[in-house]
Amino acid sequence: MEPILTMKHIRKTFSSTVALGDVSLELWPGEVRGLIGENGSGKSTISSIAAGMQKPDSGEMIFQGQPWAPKSMIDALHRGIGMIVQESGTISGVTVAENIFLAELDQFKRFGVIDRRAMNRKADEALAGIGVKDVQGSTPLAALDFQARKLVEIAKVVMKQPQILVVDETTTALSQTGRDILYDVIKRFRSEGRAVLFISHDLEEIMDVCDTLTVLRDGARIRDFKKEEFEPDAIRTSMIGRELQGDYYRSDFTPSRLEEIALKARHLQSGGALKDVSIDFHKGEIVGIGGLSHCGMHSLGKVLFGAEKPESGSVTTADGTKITNETVAMKHGIGYVAKDRDVESLALNTSIRDNIAIAGMERYALGNFLVTNAKEKPYVDRQIESLSIKCAGRDQLVSQLSGGNKQKVVFGKWIGRGSEILILDCPTRGVDIGVKKAMYELMTSLKKEGKAIIMISEELPELMGMADRLIIMKDGVVMKEFPRSESLSDAEIIKYMI
Amino acid sequence: MKKNIIKLLSLLLAAAMILCVFAGCSDGKTEATDPKTSDNAPADTKTQADTQAETEEAAAPSGEPIKIGVLVADVSGEEALGFRSYYENYIAKNYNVSFVYTEQLEDAAAEKSAIEKFAAQGCQAILSFSSADRATQLDTCIQNKLYYAVASGMLDDAQFETYKTSEYFVGQIGPSMDTEYEAGFAMGKYFADKGVKTVAMYGAFIPNPMHVYRAAGVLAGLGMTYGGASEKDAIVGQIFADQGVDLSKVGANGVELVGYFQGFGDTTFDELYGLLGQNPDAFLSVGMATTFFTDALNGAGVEFSDIDSFTSANGKAMTEGKLVYLAGKYSSSIGPIFAALVNAVNGHPVRDAEGNALSISQDYLVATDAASFDKYSTADQGESPIFSKDVLDTVIGDSVSYDSFVALVTEDRG
Amino acid sequence: MAQTNLAKKNRTRELLVALLPVAALLVLFGALCLTVNLKGYRLDMYLKIVFNEGVVLAVVATGAIFIYSLGSFDISLGASTLFSAAIGVMVYNSTQSLPLMICTIFGVAIGCSLLSSVLASVFHIPVFVTTVAMMSVLSAVAAQIITANGGALGGIGIPATVVAPLDNVPFKLIALLVFTLICVFVFDFTKIGRRLKFLGSNPVCAKLSGIKVNVYAIVAFVMAGLGVGLGAFLTLVYTPSVTPTTAGSIGMNILVAIVFGGMPISGGSRSRIYAALVGGFSYILLNNILKIVIDSGAGYGISQIVSAVFFLAVVYVTSMNYRTKLLPR
Repeated sequence: MEPILTMKHIRKTFSSTVALGDVSLELWPGEVRGLIGENGSGKSTISSIAAGMQKPDSGEMIFQGQPWAPKSMIDALHRGIGMIVQESGTISGVTVAENIFLAELDQFKRFGVIDRRAMNRKADEALAGIGVKDVQGSTPLAALDFQARKLVEIAKVVMKQPQILVVDETTTALSQTGRDILYDVIKRFRSEGRAVLFISHDLEEIMDVCDTLTVLRDGARIRDFKKEEFEPDAIRTSMIGRELQGDYYRSDFTPSRLEEIALKARHLQSGGALKDVSIDFHKGEIVGIGGLSHCGMHSLGKVLFGAEKPESGSVTTADGTKITNETVAMKHGIGYVAKDRDVESLALNTSIRDNIAIAGMERYALGNFLVTNAKEKPYVDRQIESLSIKCAGRDQLVSQLSGGNKQKVVFGKWIGRGSEILILDCPTRGVDIGVKKAMYELMTSLKKEGKAIIMISEELPELMGMADRLIIMKDGVVMKEFPRSESLSDAEIIKYMI
Repeated sequence: MKKNIIKLLSLLLAAAMILCVFAGCSDGKTEATDPKTSDNAPADTKTQADTQAETEEAAAPSGEPIKIGVLVADVSGEEALGFRSYYENYIAKNYNVSFVYTEQLEDAAAEKSAIEKFAAQGCQAILSFSSADRATQLDTCIQNKLYYAVASGMLDDAQFETYKTSEYFVGQIGPSMDTEYEAGFAMGKYFADKGVKTVAMYGAFIPNPMHVYRAAGVLAGLGMTYGGASEKDAIVGQIFADQGVDLSKVGANGVELVGYFQGFGDTTFDELYGLLGQNPDAFLSVGMATTFFTDALNGAGVEFSDIDSFTSANGKAMTEGKLVYLAGKYSSSIGPIFAALVNAVNGHPVRDAEGNALSISQDYLVATDAASFDKYSTADQGESPIFSKDVLDTVIGDSVSYDSFVALVTEDRG
Repeated sequence: MAQTNLAKKNRTRELLVALLPVAALLVLFGALCLTVNLKGYRLDMYLKIVFNEGVVLAVVATGAIFIYSLGSFDISLGASTLFSAAIGVMVYNSTQSLPLMICTIFGVAIGCSLLSSVLASVFHIPVFVTTVAMMSVLSAVAAQIITANGGALGGIGIPATVVAPLDNVPFKLIALLVFTLICVFVFDFTKIGRRLKFLGSNPVCAKLSGIKVNVYAIVAFVMAGLGVGLGAFLTLVYTPSVTPTTAGSIGMNILVAIVFGGMPISGGSRSRIYAALVGGFSYILLNNILKIVIDSGAGYGISQIVSAVFFLAVVYVTSMNYRTKLLPR
């Protein structure tokens, strides 16, 4: 039997970053191969090269016995490799059917006019083909939620009957029903002797869905696992390149904190986002704030930092100062790691140095004015070193770093200036396990130093694993406070979230 | 990366090609204008030899042509093109001189650096058609030892007093501000005498001083007052302050001003058509109307007037269209100042009894019908201009008097 | 290890790209010397002319870098140069005091700049919009003052002797260098400059890093105002008169100069003070070379077209370098 796709010695660099060193990969008929690795390991890069999204610097590809060099994603799809991308690949403003047949509207032309009814019918068929029945071709795409849009995209790709389907981090956008639809599609590919390349962060899911597994690390292929070899710790170890304990959260289960209050929120009211929220945050305490995405917790983070003005209520520090804007907040030792890292926490096309230095200049600027290399370079280097930021040097652009290292730069920015109160909004979002673990360790040690940590997260396990006190919000209201405890269960908490 | 380099290279190549094309077209022109580098140089030299035989003074004895830098504020105007054509196609062929022109001059700084460039290029004299800052022009010329003459308009009285004894100031021949006022006045009076009841007016580029004086003259000529004033200086002062003509300040006396606009922009034609909708008996312009509005005014059937020059387009507007009054210069009217400049460069400056530079006001010529228009325009053809070589030669030499210049300029050529 | 090497190579490339504008300036300088010599013109005079033409543009553009680094744009700089010069002349003519005139010019220039930025922050509109309005207002008011007081002369002026002693290369060179050094100091070695650049890179992140956007926009405009003030004064030193068209082309030339100097129009951390200096003189050199090479008889505007082509080429090259630096994720 011949492989459907063979990729040999693929190399790809972006400026100074080597995304793929020398990676070879085969995909066999009926195979569902998982690709797993930390952020920046190269898994998205290799799959997007196969699907025509970008071209390799060097290397060879053979697809069904022929040399494979697609000109674009559309070209690749028409010739047999289709990809469902991580970001939304659909266009709002037009209908579902138009999205599906975007590049081939001509086939519905009759006397120069597009036969919309025929197009919509075809689209309905394509959707039904993957088991989606509640979305119609005639619906404007804007009327659909994120999951439905993803399903439209899946239908669009599957309709073309590609020999290989590439699924890049798609399931995170899907609910269980959505996932089931996708899993059915994958099963069909397997039974029909076609192949799937499946990329996911979720180890459990990947072990469930895939027949084989390839681990990538730093742009190199590290190890392959067959189904029978699947074992979480072994996979994790090969992902991060060292032994990893099964658990990386705090090991103790006793809540602890200093008596002194660091920050006080009183009767915060902000549109629908916050309704009479009052919380005390103590020094030496990690307060976890959880809930569904729109429960108001992200707004709360911004209000605590002074970045959003509440309609009423106040945020005050220990000495009674009212936090009215970011500058006042920073003056009183508050730091804020925003949820949308690339937009709110970093200037991407700027160096690591500028990003770390920007918040900490008053720490070393002479007369709070004069900034010299002699003072700034060591300050920045200290953060790079203490947080083990993987980079080519302090002058490297942040945009060239992987997600985890970007987040470390953000931490460096706030910890370097000696923030006493840290508001962390989704601090481990899009970060691989290695960095996650480092972050948790950092939080624990900051807590020990007596800093107040406010951890806002959409991931319940990390909240339960890290927080001294867990506050659950729903529709802008604080629903329940749980003290840290070993007996805390998901089910009990979720009850207050939904 | 490789693709980028290819893209970059092709871009540079394209730029280089464009440059070559332009350099190519410029070469032809250079040949025509610069006898030194021209293929026709021998022919030119022959003409020069003949010329020299006739008048020893026309050029330097060495045979090196006199190089004159010409400051032009507006390079694209029909008047400027007419003047340029006279210098290039007639004067440069008949005298041992070459002309270099500026591009559009925006402000005083541009004028000054243009003069400095002319000096660096070896010019001996400057003819100025640009008026942003004449004092600085003169200072710069004196600094660089360049002879300087004003070819259009005149210095302000105080300025003339300051510079009139300077060795490098050759003089000025052109319409003075008073002449501009008079030209406007005559135009206004022409229509008033004709018995029109309603008129519309175009103020061209007020607050350009030339246009302000003409507009003031037009109002006075029509028998109107402005802000209660009927004296020249008072009207002029108010138009400067208003930056235009304010209809509400116009006092009518027999003739009514139904509308006024100025400038040229996106809404100009809307303003024009708005005015024409009021059916004025005549449309009076203090400049540029023949360039902008001839077709529209002919189409609307409104009689109009302008202060411009005797170009063929204007001739057509007068014979076939509704242009009924044109005060203008003919292209060779700038001949005498050239003669004065040549005299100065050759070491025989023309001075008055007190040793002052030339200052002669040159009046506009007025055509009100095809016959009078033709008199000026046919008399001033490319090969046989009014100020032809024969005429100019009478004032080029080592013993030309101030009075002979005055006589030449003010002689009625009508 | 491989990554470090690559990074090193990359940094060398970046340095080369950064030096490209300087190399272009040198090439243009050589080209001017060559064409002037070939034509048999006087080089010493030409160099002085180019310096005089370039110095005002370089000064105003250097100040304007502060605004451009924010990713913002001020189209009114030419008009405020005109306006402050006009007010300066009026003040001199009524007081006969040179120091007072200089102070007035700087005060008015900074005032105009401040007004643009304060209006923008009060009404929450992009600064660019207020500068468009300022441009119309300032040039109209300046024209009014000039024509009302200048009358038949079409312009107002101070006696040439007042500033004539300053109309020499050493004085202007010193003025240019001192101003540039002040700007480099503020831009690269103070908290203010560093924060300005960061603000240009990502205003949202800057706000969340405690940088008061409005305050820094005002600071940037004040620095630009200083440049305008010095530029207006140097304009008067060169020609002691002001007409409604004075400095008319500066507004647009600044943009061209800054781009020629290799700075991205989007501003941010890659903003460099020297871009204005290098770009300003490059542009003037290019213009002069073109004017010498292309005879004025070849048709009006051809040298403008050629500079426009160069401009697009430079923008393309700078953005090309910018694009390749982004990771596709």
